[in-house]
Amino acid sequence: MKRFILKRLGYSLISLCLLALTIFLFVRLTGDPTVLLVEPGASREDMAMVRQQLGLDRSLPVQFMAFVADMLRGDFGKSFYYRTPVLELYMSRLPSSLALAAAAMAFSLVIGIPSGIIAAVKVGKFGDNAGKVFALLGLSMPQFWVGLLLILFFSVYLGWLPSSGSGTIWHLIMPAFALGWYFAAAHMRITRSSMLEVLGSEYVKLARLKGLPEKRVIVKHALKNALIPVLTLAGINLVLMVNVAVVVETVFAWPGIGRLLYEGIAFRDFPVVQATVLLGGSMIVIVNLVVDVLYAVIDPRIRLGA
Amino acid sequence: MRRRLVTRAAVLASLLVVVLSAAPVAAAPEGQVTWGVHITLAPTWFDPAETPPLITPYMVMYAIHDAMAKAMPDNSMTPALAESWKASPDGKTYDFTLRKNVKFHDGSTMTAEDVKFSFERYRGAAAKSMKDRVAGIDVTGPLQVRFRLKEPWPDFLLFYTAASGAGWIVPKKYVEKVGEEQFKKAPVGAGPYKYVSFTPGVELVMEAFDQYWRKTPKVKRLVFRVIPDESTRMAALKRGEIDIVYSVRGELAEELQRTPGLTLKPTVIQAPQWVSMLDQWDPKSPWHDRRVRLAANLAIDRKAINQAITLGHSRLTGTIIPSTFEYAWPAPLYPFDPAQAKKLLAEAGYPNGFDAGEYHMDVAYANVQEAIADYLRQAGIKTTLRSMERAGFFAGYTAKKFKNLAYTASGAFGNAATRLETFVVKGGAYVYGSYPDIDGLFTEQAAELDRKKRQAILHRIQQLMHEKVMHIPIWELGFVNGHGPRIQESGLGLIPGHAYSAPYEDVSLKGK
Repeated sequence: MKRFILKRLGYSLISLCLLALTIFLFVRLTGDPTVLLVEPGASREDMAMVRQQLGLDRSLPVQFMAFVADMLRGDFGKSFYYRTPVLELYMSRLPSSLALAAAAMAFSLVIGIPSGIIAAVKVGKFGDNAGKVFALLGLSMPQFWVGLLLILFFSVYLGWLPSSGSGTIWHLIMPAFALGWYFAAAHMRITRSSMLEVLGSEYVKLARLKGLPEKRVIVKHALKNALIPVLTLAGINLVLMVNVAVVVETVFAWPGIGRLLYEGIAFRDFPVVQATVLLGGSMIVIVNLVVDVLYAVIDPRIRLGA
Repeated sequence: MRRRLVTRAAVLASLLVVVLSAAPVAAAPEGQVTWGVHITLAPTWFDPAETPPLITPYMVMYAIHDAMAKAMPDNSMTPALAESWKASPDGKTYDFTLRKNVKFHDGSTMTAEDVKFSFERYRGAAAKSMKDRVAGIDVTGPLQVRFRLKEPWPDFLLFYTAASGAGWIVPKKYVEKVGEEQFKKAPVGAGPYKYVSFTPGVELVMEAFDQYWRKTPKVKRLVFRVIPDESTRMAALKRGEIDIVYSVRGELAEELQRTPGLTLKPTVIQAPQWVSMLDQWDPKSPWHDRRVRLAANLAIDRKAINQAITLGHSRLTGTIIPSTFEYAWPAPLYPFDPAQAKKLLAEAGYPNGFDAGEYHMDVAYANVQEAIADYLRQAGIKTTLRSMERAGFFAGYTAKKFKNLAYTASGAFGNAATRLETFVVKGGAYVYGSYPDIDGLFTEQAAELDRKKRQAILHRIQQLMHEKVMHIPIWELGFVNGHGPRIQESGLGLIPGHAYSAPYEDVSLKGK
């Protein structure tokens, strides 16, 4: 087991190193950030000055070495745009992103899992078809459009909810719905397929043959096993909700990490993009590591196979 | 008894007369005005020392800080913290006299030391060009400062007061006490509003400074709320969550215009847009022929484009120099005359038009470009629109990789000379070719200290540009903003060429 964990830990570190190198090179492929930090038509001297201030006049290897050395000290550099430490920016946005992700996740699970169960139990019937339509809409409707419709209806027309911003629970409702719907649809679909697989398995057939009530078969025997892939996916989705809710956070002016990433990309703010992607990537790597270890604890074939 | 009553009545009446006839006391600031800001606010804008060459920081600087001189409604270089200044006859010394009893938000009084400190600490975009030319700065009295230049520099005042943050004054003692980093987190200035709080990506809150030298602000609290999405900003304005909205375009602007209680308030900013004919110096190119260049200008219905995209609120122009700039020459507008355009093309040897190749553009202005390309096509000039995101576009432009046509826009500060230096004269960052007569005149004006003579030379350059039909000028962009029903004075458009609300001490609410 110890060997398995060490091996997985090694893979995780290699993944993070590769991610650091990739993101460092990729952001630099997007072009010179200086042109976005000055007014069009600014003189060459102005641009050279800005480039020097940002340390972009140094060679790529020198920039990379500085980036890695700083990162190992927990310093992700200063934002080109904000001119403040990126980690400080990230941490100031994290609580908002966590709040939004938690609310959206709760919504997606509360809606996605029951509708997935109903769709699996009532295959081909109204419940199944309604669930499919719900999933199709959630997955296919652009989040910005859903967000704008919500704003127009609940804020402008009905006047019930604030149109944007943060601070109260009322501010959270619309962005959580807009973000959660997409993931609710995904959770519904995986719950449905997982339930269908489990409901067709031998032990469920046996439970039914034993004469157990259908409700008990579904809730006690089938659902428990069917939920494993759903919760695994939900874990990864939670990390995505925290880090890349770019569209929803922009439409609702929600001050989260997704918007920070969007601003970073829009202004070619290399340190912000690097830090956001790396910290988001680290979260995914850690979640995967924990899941792998838990699987290995549950299933000896995995750790022995490894 | 009666006499006492009469005496009392007389005393009361006198008091009443005194109270009523006394000079009106400035009303205390009241209420709150909230802006829906289109762009993310950056703390670097709170510190004049780091002002980047952008127009957006001035949105915040006009509230928290004050400058030696700055653009105000009546003048583009109005004395503010400097009461007056005088240049020596040789143009190498400038003496400034400061305004008395100007207070910073921490209660300290501004002195000449603060002015010297602010200049020396300035490290913004224009720092190199300023410090290369300034030999030194001397404090010659508590309220007197002298700048010594290495060589005469006719644009010194422009760069010191309007085109950089070097002339925006911060309190020396406070900055030294709290340090550079802390200053950005809790800036103290001499402007009409005090910093209260800033939440990155969310909002900036400021409160009226009742000791502001110019006047006591009318509104107690200003809030700049960041709302990046245009539709959301509009919804927030309709709901009354914000009072003033920045940057609303197209159909949303029309909606703002027709919504009862809301007022459209466009401002024309110092950002002309034009099409550059990059190959006009290549004898093999059709653009080498003046008649072709003129035909392209006559082929475009600028008025229709203006109406469709900015509801007619942009200012049509015949030049690339902003009309509000010093030394700008009012170039005549090109009329829309498609028949004459076709005739000129035929005379130039292109009766069936020609393929003008790629037309490079920044994707942010796609709506204008598509319209221009369509008008050119109708006249017979076929183009292929090559749309790029901003960074790629400017990288390609300055690397001189483009050919044929390129859409150009600039909101950079300066005067006619600084614009010509960047876009017209040999060696400029965006110059693909130049004319020797214009280059010669430009060198001549750079050494001319007599303002009138310099203006005459700069006007002549702009006339030559017009005669040669060097560009296809379109408009000075109308930045479409609006405000809600509570606002009496939004501050929008008060300062010519300024995009945002200012001066903030003039912003007021109805009935206050």
